[in-house]
Amino acid sequence: MKWSSKLYTTLIFIFLFAPIVILLVFSFNEAKSLSVFSGFSFRWYEELFSDEATLESLKNSLILALSATVISTVMGTVAALGIYRLRKKWYRALLNTVTNIPMINPDIITGISMMLLFVFVGRMFSASTSLNFWTMLIAHVTFCLPYVIFQVLPKLNQMDGDLMEAAQDLGCTPFRAFFKVTLPEILPGIITGAIMAFTLSLDDFVISYFTSGNDFQTLPIRIYGMTKKTVTPKMYALATIIFFVTLALLLLNNLVDNDDSRKLREKKKKSKAELLEE
Amino acid sequence: MLLAYCFFILPAQAERGAIMEKIIELKNISKSFDGETVLDHISLDIYDNEFITLLGPSGCGKTTLLRMIGGFANPDEGDILFMGERLNDTPPHKRNVNTVFQKYALFPHLNVFENVAFPLRERGVKKAEIKEQVMKMLSLVMLEGFAERSVTSLSGGQQQRVAIARALINHPKVLLLDEPLGALDLKLRKDMQQELKKIQKSTGITFVFVTHDQEEALSMSDTIVVLSEGRIQQIGTPTDIYNEPVNAFVADFIGESNILDGVMPENFKARFSGHTFSCLDKDFAPGEPVDVVVRPEDVDIVPKDEGMLSGVVTQVTFMGVHNEIIVDIGGFKWMIQTTESVNVGEHIGISLDPDAIHIMKKSKYSGVFGDYSSYSNELDELSDPGGEE
Repeated sequence: MKWSSKLYTTLIFIFLFAPIVILLVFSFNEAKSLSVFSGFSFRWYEELFSDEATLESLKNSLILALSATVISTVMGTVAALGIYRLRKKWYRALLNTVTNIPMINPDIITGISMMLLFVFVGRMFSASTSLNFWTMLIAHVTFCLPYVIFQVLPKLNQMDGDLMEAAQDLGCTPFRAFFKVTLPEILPGIITGAIMAFTLSLDDFVISYFTSGNDFQTLPIRIYGMTKKTVTPKMYALATIIFFVTLALLLLNNLVDNDDSRKLREKKKKSKAELLEE
Repeated sequence: MLLAYCFFILPAQAERGAIMEKIIELKNISKSFDGETVLDHISLDIYDNEFITLLGPSGCGKTTLLRMIGGFANPDEGDILFMGERLNDTPPHKRNVNTVFQKYALFPHLNVFENVAFPLRERGVKKAEIKEQVMKMLSLVMLEGFAERSVTSLSGGQQQRVAIARALINHPKVLLLDEPLGALDLKLRKDMQQELKKIQKSTGITFVFVTHDQEEALSMSDTIVVLSEGRIQQIGTPTDIYNEPVNAFVADFIGESNILDGVMPENFKARFSGHTFSCLDKDFAPGEPVDVVVRPEDVDIVPKDEGMLSGVVTQVTFMGVHNEIIVDIGGFKWMIQTTESVNVGEHIGISLDPDAIHIMKKSKYSGVFGDYSSYSNELDELSDPGGEE
């Protein structure tokens, strides 16, 4: 590498990670100050774990993210299968576009429209409060769904279309053939989709803000609420923990992906060897 | 009566399974996709222990027919019988039929052993027995040392063998093969042809083989079914099909043929290219227009003056065992295969033995096939009509 490209890479990494490094460093600061690092301590971590409300909102966030992930992963996989089996090309393209809308749509629009829908339906049934955990869950599933479809569909398209027929030919019912053959083939896509759904849901503020009620607060909403007063360094501590959890998920995801591309490389290598051999 | 039956009818039928048991009967099968007819009233009997090939160009309906037997397509009309029982509505997993797919369709997430063991596991066979059966099957297809290998690491020929082993392990009554050799290169294909034939003989399982490769069909099959445009053109042994094609389509599709326009003035006489030849065919109406087939290897080259017909050599191609030459006789380009050496521009005579000539009824394929004009470099140069006496 030439020195210029080395410099460029270094700059980019500084640009990307400087904020996180500062966050990390100051989460261990003894004092509350953002300008002076007065000494290393776990003080803010201790405070964090004794802050009931924050822990409650973290628990809420995790429950919501996990539920949204499970539901959107199952629904998204089934939807991808449906789209994959469509014969008419224009119909498939149309469905693809429609399912991608929540992905391209600005969060603020999705958030407002979701809120309007829930309030409208709530009024129809004259419920006292129309926004709660369930409305948030519906909203989260909605914006996670296209990401799952987006990950699963290419795996289906890569798959040899005769595999399902082969499994049935060899004694499987169509239902069983799916679990024995299709599922193992598309599993990497499903896992990636699920991880994406989980991080998106955990991280979402805008849509959650519009669709949450008073009795169910997620972590991003709680943090936002705190910024109206003062952000204590225990939030740095929390952010640091979340960062490392996300990093771990990302690494896991890449591991799955690498395994996949390794298989692909092996396949290519093999076909080359075959050419030479024959 | 009985005696007559024994003497005349039995020998004729014994050629194709009067004693053998019918395994599959296709009765009046029709199918169309999006208004386009793919199969047009097909009726066909498939016998036990037979190597039967469905042969035809792409789009003739052969794969659809195979998929119907496998259970992956349903006929719009007609019945499929399996050992006398109607099979139409039986789903694929309940049919005693297995398929070798064109691109093998091996399960990439399973190794060689598990791929072959798959059908046994589905049936709930005991572990020890699975191991024994799979190993036996792998040795049949000569892949003993490959059990633990990943299927994606195998060569095309090896994958092919895994696919065959996997399809045979349930001992199906019938094995369906959908152009299984299509993805292999020429040399490997020849080897696999021999091997498949050997496997069929040793297992005694009925093979229904789909191909568009006529050579493959001729060298492997007991019976060939020639299909075109969703209809059966001819059913017969390879020699029957080659020596006595029923129409211009079959004659052209199987091997090389010169197909000429002619008439039958009387039994055992055929007139074409301005000359009357002796032949072995009869039972045509006097003066009936017919198609005449002459195979390129059945033409004898003689000096110009001694020939029944004569013409000018327009092209010579060295093929190794023989020369393939194109001769212009009265404007019709003949293909002749000969071991003699002739030169382009040379005037030669040709002679035909009675058994070199095969007469066919006129069909919708008449006049479409059988002229080798496109082979010639000198299309417009017409030599003098040497055939006229």
